[in-house]
Amino acid sequence: MHSSNESAASTERHIDPKLLELLVCPLTKSVLRYDAERQELVSSAARLAYPIRDGIPIMLPDEARMIDDSER
Amino acid sequence: MSDAPRLFEQGLIRTRLKRAIRQGAEDFLLARAGADLSDRLSAVLRHFDVVVDWGTPGPHAADALLASGKVGRLIRSAPLIEALAPSPYPSIVADAGLFPFGRESVDAVISLLALQTVDDLPGALMQIRRALKPDGLFLACLIGGSSLTELRQSLAAAESEIEGGISPRVAPFADISDLGGLLQRAGFALPVSDVDSFTVRYASPLGLMHDLRRMGATNALTERRKSPMRRATLIRAMEIYAERFSDPDGRIRASFELIWISGWTPHESQQKPLKPGSASQRLADALGVREMVGGEKPDRLK
Repeated sequence: MHSSNESAASTERHIDPKLLELLVCPLTKSVLRYDAERQELVSSAARLAYPIRDGIPIMLPDEARMIDDSER
Repeated sequence: MSDAPRLFEQGLIRTRLKRAIRQGAEDFLLARAGADLSDRLSAVLRHFDVVVDWGTPGPHAADALLASGKVGRLIRSAPLIEALAPSPYPSIVADAGLFPFGRESVDAVISLLALQTVDDLPGALMQIRRALKPDGLFLACLIGGSSLTELRQSLAAAESEIEGGISPRVAPFADISDLGGLLQRAGFALPVSDVDSFTVRYASPLGLMHDLRRMGATNALTERRKSPMRRATLIRAMEIYAERFSDPDGRIRASFELIWISGWTPHESQQKPLKPGSASQRLADALGVREMVGGEKPDRLK
């Protein structure tokens, strides 16, 4: 399961916009910000960015990227 | 977050499932649960706009839901991406213990064979209940505590005989008596639980072990012994299994238990008991008998 953020954005499948409306951060249940360029769902509250691979959000804290203050 | 002890290594569960899918997963338990789900859905007289298939490690729940004709939009989730493909539905990868849907956002949550390895089941049920709209349905099937009892006993006997001690090798699955209470504590109304117990027969205990591996269901307990089982122990366990749990024709028995639980998020339209003392008619009138006062004995006992 290796995929860089750049390659993920170029894939065919895109995330379903209606799915985006329903999802929250699995840890904090707070809203997520969709970063289309990086193909990530960003939880400011948990300071985690969940990757989207081939249109599928990976809502696993273990696989999320830690973000720093400048990205919040 | 949760302070529940970490019974299961979620990463290891995903690794095991991934290997099983790559080798061609054995899905007889999932197929049985999926067929049962179809029957159960046919008894539900409602349509659900947004339904989440929560953690089912195969297409079995999604197929049954779609065939029921009672689902508007279906969202699938699974513990890893390989368990989703090929999926025509919007999908996510998620840990069965961390429900990532907003408050009152979905109409039903259906889950097959996913919740038995969640460390904090009460917490997971609470999260699911909060994400359901009022009068929303939660219906799940879990592997129950009487499953694999023969294997559990054979491994423990062999291990204590040969290695002088035992280590946990078969997961402590939930009992049905625990689950009914959990539903209620999580805030579900009209909680129901029932059990589907059955026996599968194999030519040898190795056949069972093979199937468990192909289900991705081998030991993922945090407290498991990390070194591989000694060959002598394994062979002795297989002998004990065959001695104690075989039929006259030589085939061995393996017990499985699938526990079904369901509940609804509270809504004013649901049936509920009246308050004590709120009756407007006498019970004696409804039964057509004479009401007795305290201390009075019925005629035939006089």
